Amino acid sequence: MNTHDTFDELAAVYAVGALDGDDLARFEAHLAEGCARCATTLRESGEALGRLALAGTPEVPPPRVRASLVARAAGARPGRAAPRRASWVPWAAATAAAAAIAAMITGGVVASRYEARLGQMARETAAVRERLQRSEAALRDQVAVYRGAVELLRDPATRVVELRGAGPSPEATGRMVWHDKAGGHLFVANLPPAPAGKAYELWTLGGPAPQPAGTFQVDAAGRASHRVEPAGAPPAKFAVTLEPEAGVPAPTGPIVLASR
Amino acid sequence: MATAGERLVRQMAAGDREAFGAFYDRYAPLVYPLIVRIVRDRSDAADVLQDVFWEAWQGAAGYDPARGTPEAWMITRARTRAIDRVRALRRRGETFGPPVDEGLAAAPPEPGGDAADRAGDRGLVLTALEELPPAQREAIELAYYAGLTQTEISERLKQPLGTVKTRIRLGLERLRDVVRRAT
Repeated sequence: MNTHDTFDELAAVYAVGALDGDDLARFEAHLAEGCARCATTLRESGEALGRLALAGTPEVPPPRVRASLVARAAGARPGRAAPRRASWVPWAAATAAAAAIAAMITGGVVASRYEARLGQMARETAAVRERLQRSEAALRDQVAVYRGAVELLRDPATRVVELRGAGPSPEATGRMVWHDKAGGHLFVANLPPAPAGKAYELWTLGGPAPQPAGTFQVDAAGRASHRVEPAGAPPAKFAVTLEPEAGVPAPTGPIVLASR
Repeated sequence: MATAGERLVRQMAAGDREAFGAFYDRYAPLVYPLIVRIVRDRSDAADVLQDVFWEAWQGAAGYDPARGTPEAWMITRARTRAIDRVRALRRRGETFGPPVDEGLAAAPPEPGGDAADRAGDRGLVLTALEELPPAQREAIELAYYAGLTQTEISERLKQPLGTVKTRIRLGLERLRDVVRRAT
């Protein structure tokens, strides 16, 4: 079963701007994790919808819009806030009735504009809060991993095995902190993120055939830490290959990291 | 290589007002009909258009060509602002304009002379939209042009949320397919 189906659907609804509620927070969190597949879906959807949006007959807007923009730009360089309605003050100086009407109109326009902004800000705030909670959880997980590795290093029976980059990723480096009874932690750096639908899979070598030791993904900076359960027979070597996302029982893809 | 549109945005970021004028002349006739289609009132549409271009002038330095063409940048902005306007009016209960569907039906595609250079591709996606099963087309149009959220669409069509999501996904997949094959 493809577990990404749900996100494909959310990505489509997000692309037409209709995602809301929990789905929105969930999808933005997923997107924040750097899902290449969803990024592609969004880019392609945006392009398709954009062409649709431009399918109407071009139409020259009222000339006053251009004139007003040019006049405003003359008074303000880009990137700086400019007064929104510069002509408001002379307006207010007119008769009381005119001022009252002007205030009503301006008030109405400003109110509707701010209402829209406020709604948007509330949505953004919710998304930021969600993101913060997720990064806090991720940090806690990471601390647990480091703590586990430090515990392991206290034990004299623990060994540290270097892994060198190979094949498509010669720059990659890895370090396995391994204990035959407690298992270990693999730390990886400079490994490019796996393409969509793929993951890295760790193998322990020592028996007649490589034993799978779990799949992992690297972050945007090319780093990963991966917890490994103790294997049956003490492994002599470790290797990492690029495999389908779900993992495979025997290596099929290129070796990207290997110990000597 | 930078396209003419990208060059204009870069010049705008540097404060070049003439570039801003040229940018407006190039893109305003393209995004204005979209805004009109969404807000349905030409005077409102002109206000939104002005906001959209003012934001482009002020935000020119933040434009990143890697994330899309200037055209796509302006369309996204125009649609967002237009929908903001429609939603704000809807919330205040001031608008009881024609039902969304009529407004949508009243936007016939006419490949114009100025747009002839792009008309081929554009017509293709439009045709694809028209050929979608009506339920899928309706869901996409309610979202994209009327600014309804999935929950609002589900309430309006009296269909389960899951059905609405699936219709949008299937319809959009087909549109993406057409674009992918055309490029």
